[in-house]
Amino acid sequence: MKNNTFDYQIGNRTAGVPEVNFDDAREMHPYLAPPEAMYVGAPGKHGYLRMGFELDSEGKSILRDLERRVPIIVQQELYFDREWKELPCVYILSSGGANIDGDRYQQDIYLKKDAFAWVSTGAATKLSEMVRNYSGMRQNITLEEGSYLEFMPEPVIPCRHTRFICDSVLTVHPTATLFYSEVYMGGRKYYKEGEMFVYDILSVCCRGKRPDGSDLFREKFVVEPGRLLNPRQLGIMGEFDVFANVIVMTPPEKADEIYERTTAYINRKEKIAAGITKLPNKAGVLFKVLGMEPQPVKKIVREFSSIVRETVKGIKVAEEFPWR
Amino acid sequence: MNMATITTTTTTILTTMSMTDNPTAVMQLLQFTDSAFPVGTFSFSNGLETAAFEKMVTGKETLHAFARSQAWQAAFTDGVAAIHAFRAATKGDFKGVLKSDSELMLSKMNEEARTMLTRMGKKLAELGRRLYPADPLIKDWLDEINAGNTPGMYPVAQGLMFAKAGLTEKELFFSHQYGVINMVLSASLRCSRVSHYDTQEILFDLSGETERLYDLVSDMRLDEMNAFFPELDILSSLHEKGTQRMFMS
Repeated sequence: MKNNTFDYQIGNRTAGVPEVNFDDAREMHPYLAPPEAMYVGAPGKHGYLRMGFELDSEGKSILRDLERRVPIIVQQELYFDREWKELPCVYILSSGGANIDGDRYQQDIYLKKDAFAWVSTGAATKLSEMVRNYSGMRQNITLEEGSYLEFMPEPVIPCRHTRFICDSVLTVHPTATLFYSEVYMGGRKYYKEGEMFVYDILSVCCRGKRPDGSDLFREKFVVEPGRLLNPRQLGIMGEFDVFANVIVMTPPEKADEIYERTTAYINRKEKIAAGITKLPNKAGVLFKVLGMEPQPVKKIVREFSSIVRETVKGIKVAEEFPWR
Repeated sequence: MNMATITTTTTTILTTMSMTDNPTAVMQLLQFTDSAFPVGTFSFSNGLETAAFEKMVTGKETLHAFARSQAWQAAFTDGVAAIHAFRAATKGDFKGVLKSDSELMLSKMNEEARTMLTRMGKKLAELGRRLYPADPLIKDWLDEINAGNTPGMYPVAQGLMFAKAGLTEKELFFSHQYGVINMVLSASLRCSRVSHYDTQEILFDLSGETERLYDLVSDMRLDEMNAFFPELDILSSLHEKGTQRMFMS
């Protein structure tokens, strides 16, 4: 295992793996009862991933640093992008099935100067029904000068009584570009008579920072269908079932171009909508999509990623594989 | 009496003292909350203009839902910042006021919303300087805005003004929420098919929910501000990129 020369993205560690604990988060206080099955932090319930990309001596972007702990699996980078053959692509897999109560994860991804990469997951992240405790994930994504990362995981699917919290710190150099997307389903739409918006809580926070620690923005969602407003309320999800959120941190001139090239619309016939705005503190742009099914929403996110890649790198994104 | 007791007692007085104990404060509350108070409220619709154009708000029922979403969104962000600014101002803690301002800016993801809150905030700061010319906190606040050292968001300015007027934290929060709802309802009379009776009934109904919102947000920290209103966000984006606009948001 190679040494990681960065220290600002690793965080505090216990026994080689950072502790992931959200017990201090007020919204999780109703869900602190310990699991009756395997304890929090038990082997297989505390996944960890560290990936570091850098340019090798020939200028090729490679996955130089990789550390993982079950149930997370990452094998090696592949170069399968038809439009950008030098792009290292990595799928994050899990051998553990759905997230259950008491599961904790941490993912630390960093790109050194001028490196570039594409990261996704092998399948949707299923958040199972939870009876005690919660599932939590912490992410640190750190981009050095001139680096470029597309982080496009498959959708997250919460079930009845899911409790999930995720905190992501996105530390991006002013010259680097991060494309960070998340797709959330309202639930298992076609399970039995439908299981939409019956989870207990989704708490999702993304914090944008510069390498010197200065804050750029903080976007936090706390969705509690049983306690707060029902997500079906006009203004929240309304009639829509799937929500995608894309944060693009990029230099201001690139952000302006992306903003100008991106259309905002509501298509009532196709039941799909998209909007874009500029992030606080000239950090980049924020793109949102609402739809009825994951595929059309993912397609729009992918088309948007092509605008970003073309603007920043001058390379378009290839058609998605038909099996994805 | 130790410091903790003094603080608790002060907070209790600030949050529970009835405004009817101070008729001048009642008049000032009415003045600050009046739609004629010149901070530019009438220029903004908070996304309603687009919602009406897109036929998402078509009448009383949908307008009620739209205004309710706006009220909840504001409570968990602007309302929290206003409360923190008020508490800091009552203690003469200028750094605390600035912190409320910068934290609110960090969590305001829509550019139109940021523009609206900074424009209205600066107008309120300028008005505050005229109404309370001897107040050093309001002077410093306006100076910091003019120097570009702080964004000068409207809810934070409200916190300062209410503290100076001797109003309570609850009165601030309720007044803030009233302003948010009334902004949408006033705009609705110009861009959707509703009557004055409809808007007053909606306002009356949503006012009854404000006590619950205060209970939900009054002890939130600034870094706990949150909002999940993607439909409102997309409407705001459409307005931002649109060309036919009667309102500024």
